[in-house]
Amino acid sequence: MPSSISNFKERLRLPRLFFRRPSREEQIHGGPPLEFERPIPPAPWRGIAVVISIVVIAVTTAWELYCRALGYGPTLNDNEDLWTMARRRVQPESIVVLGDSRAWFDVDLDEFQKGLGKRPIQLAMAGSTAWPVLDDLAKDESFHGTIICSFVPGLFFAPPGSPPMVRAELGEKRYRNQTPAQRVSEYLGMWLEEHVAFLKPDDLSLEALLNELPIPNRPGALVPPRFPPYFQTEDRERRARMWEKCAAPGSPLAKKIQETWPPLFTPPPPPSYVPKDAFFAEMKKGLEKRFADVAGAIEKIRRRGGKIVFVRFPHTGGLKELEDRLTPRAQTWDPLLKITSSPGIYYSDFPELSGFDCPEWSHLSAGDSVEFSKRLVPHLKAALQL
Amino acid sequence: MLFNSLTFVVFFTLVVFLYWSIRSWTARKNLLVVASYIFYGAWNPPFAALLFSTTAMDFWLGRQIGKAKNQRSKRRWLVASVCMNLSMLGFFKYGNFLLENFQWLLARGGVIYQPPHLDILLPVGISFYTFHSLSYTLDIYRGVLQPTRSLRDFVLAVSFFPQLVAGPIVRAGDFLPQLAYAPRLKTGQFFWGLALMTLGLFEKIVLADTLLSGSADRVFNYSGPLVALDSWAGVIAFAGQIFFDFAGYSICAIGAALTLGFHLKDNFRFPYAAIGFSDFWRRWHISLSTFLRDYLYIPLGGNQVRPFRAALNLVIVMFIGGLWHGAAWTFVVWGLLHGSYLVIERVCRLFFEEKPWANTPIVRMLAGFATYGAVCIAWVFFRASDFTIASRMLAGMFGGHPTGDAILSTRELLQIGMVSAGMIALHWAMRDNSFEIAVMRLPHWTVTAIGAVMACAIILTQGNSNAFIYFQF
Repeated sequence: MPSSISNFKERLRLPRLFFRRPSREEQIHGGPPLEFERPIPPAPWRGIAVVISIVVIAVTTAWELYCRALGYGPTLNDNEDLWTMARRRVQPESIVVLGDSRAWFDVDLDEFQKGLGKRPIQLAMAGSTAWPVLDDLAKDESFHGTIICSFVPGLFFAPPGSPPMVRAELGEKRYRNQTPAQRVSEYLGMWLEEHVAFLKPDDLSLEALLNELPIPNRPGALVPPRFPPYFQTEDRERRARMWEKCAAPGSPLAKKIQETWPPLFTPPPPPSYVPKDAFFAEMKKGLEKRFADVAGAIEKIRRRGGKIVFVRFPHTGGLKELEDRLTPRAQTWDPLLKITSSPGIYYSDFPELSGFDCPEWSHLSAGDSVEFSKRLVPHLKAALQL
Repeated sequence: MLFNSLTFVVFFTLVVFLYWSIRSWTARKNLLVVASYIFYGAWNPPFAALLFSTTAMDFWLGRQIGKAKNQRSKRRWLVASVCMNLSMLGFFKYGNFLLENFQWLLARGGVIYQPPHLDILLPVGISFYTFHSLSYTLDIYRGVLQPTRSLRDFVLAVSFFPQLVAGPIVRAGDFLPQLAYAPRLKTGQFFWGLALMTLGLFEKIVLADTLLSGSADRVFNYSGPLVALDSWAGVIAFAGQIFFDFAGYSICAIGAALTLGFHLKDNFRFPYAAIGFSDFWRRWHISLSTFLRDYLYIPLGGNQVRPFRAALNLVIVMFIGGLWHGAAWTFVVWGLLHGSYLVIERVCRLFFEEKPWANTPIVRMLAGFATYGAVCIAWVFFRASDFTIASRMLAGMFGGHPTGDAILSTRELLQIGMVSAGMIALHWAMRDNSFEIAVMRLPHWTVTAIGAVMACAIILTQGNSNAFIYFQF
């Protein structure tokens, strides 16, 4: 064993606690002398630090260039902190957009501002239900603005504890409890995300990359369905725009995303540990409660002078067929408008709102979203009597 | 402010730069006090005032204990300090728990009482800083420390930001002497501190949050019965997650302190290679176990009493240790389980310790794995939010749900298996060693490569600033 090591080991083995006479200053405290000093392994630390820094910079740069070569560009990630920033901008008379990713992709804030005279605040979240935010706005006694709420039945009626509900509640929770440190981190993170392309947790993080490994699962394993990969850019106002790579007709990315919708939109089978009858009875009860809760919340907002309109945004292809089959309009949209006595705009009822093609079946391309928003505005004005 | 956040990166860089740029030691200590309060206030600014008020009270009570002429008077001041600290902890952490249990007890007696639910926000790290502060008055009472004259120094000892919210529990007696003289900037110490911070962040961001936490959460949050494989995988994932999470925080804290010239003791020493439960507690959360040993177990008589009383002392200490972790009966059961493990171990030692076969490598290794298994079983109560989940998990683990559901993907099972096997192998390889010795033995290029891999993995993992588990305690 080299002598330096044996000396070192000796030092460690021998009392790690070594005693010495306390200095005068130490006696001021009257405490024991410094009893413990962490051993520092002798090594050329400065050189090691320089080499590590060079390697980290080189690897990070190479990864960044590779990701850019794949078509990724710097853009913001949608997270609870960015949502909280938008939520904070809500004023008593604001126009807010609530709901799921269709409102997030398909609403162009500039066109809405031009048409409605006020810039809306985008509070729709991908894969979430509008209910917790609607409920929160209803409880806010000062709010008497206008709500434009997207309606996707599978998401809107998501039960407590389900991923769409959890996603929306996370945003609400962060809005209520965001710490000053989280706020600062968000500003720092936004600056980084606007300059670095590989900061895409949904696609390019270690976890996302591991998730892509083609490892078959056990038969019968109840593994959650995969979420679609990254396919949008987002700005500080939370305006989402479809990535051009996905917007191209018949693109491989669009096809890959299309494959993710059926498992996500198909309700999971009833749990094996709950009797089927009891499960469906519980679901029915939950649905009735949601209808009643939504009606109650809307009534509160309306009493204060607020307005709400529901919008069914375009969706096409296999996803439309699936949604029409699983959540028919007569059982979801029609009762919602009736129970809440609210106006609604179902895109397929109007020729000028129909005919848009959703490249991946669920959302409009960035260009189409501008045109769609322009055409939607007169319907919104009529429905809201603006 | 979390160590794994961008805010901390900027904050820490600024603090370190300013700290080593200032010549005056007094100014540097003032800077650390301000930085520590900013660090703490970044969660919830009003709680910084609470932290200061309890600290100032203990400073004053410490002086009263020091000035007291007789033992009785000293004891009175100490009781005041203990009551003040524990009542703060009790109100913020155990208020609702006590009310709920009181309500339950009344209901058993036929009295229906609906107490108001107190909307109490738990100040982050209150259990840790209460113990930092309490150690000061306890040590003055024990006669091993004299009261400091400097309120600023004591405030810094309690609130020093690396260890403020999730430990290690640094006793005032260990920290105050380090404030007596200005440390010099030493290159090796500074970079070793940064290396430890990198290791700690790697453990937290990559191993705990990315590779283990998702599976553990899914298993413990699942509301149905699970097959044995998934149940065990979830528990083993949690055992790894909590180790990497908490040990990662402690290593970060030690590293951050070192870059500022302060020396904190180890809080973990490869605990999953422990042979027996007393060995486990000498390796797991060492600062808490030594705190409980010195201030509770020994005053209760320790093992210098009759065997039954000594066993009872162990159980009492672990009961308190369990309750310290959280206001729930599941934590109490976790503590009591560890207490009974310690008692059983003590009984086994009486019978088998002297046997020649008991110290053979195979038996030691088997005992080590049995210890790990028993610790994992206890983790079920620590992680489960109620006894329904805990009993469902235990039933799953021991074959109670042969037709239960399988919810983990093959990739997750492989991840848990590989990370946990690697962790246990490393703990056994290092059980009588330390990171310092390992780094000494490795060639410099290997140390450099490991450091680079960890740093790159942290950046590429894109951690999402998950809070450390122990913040809730």
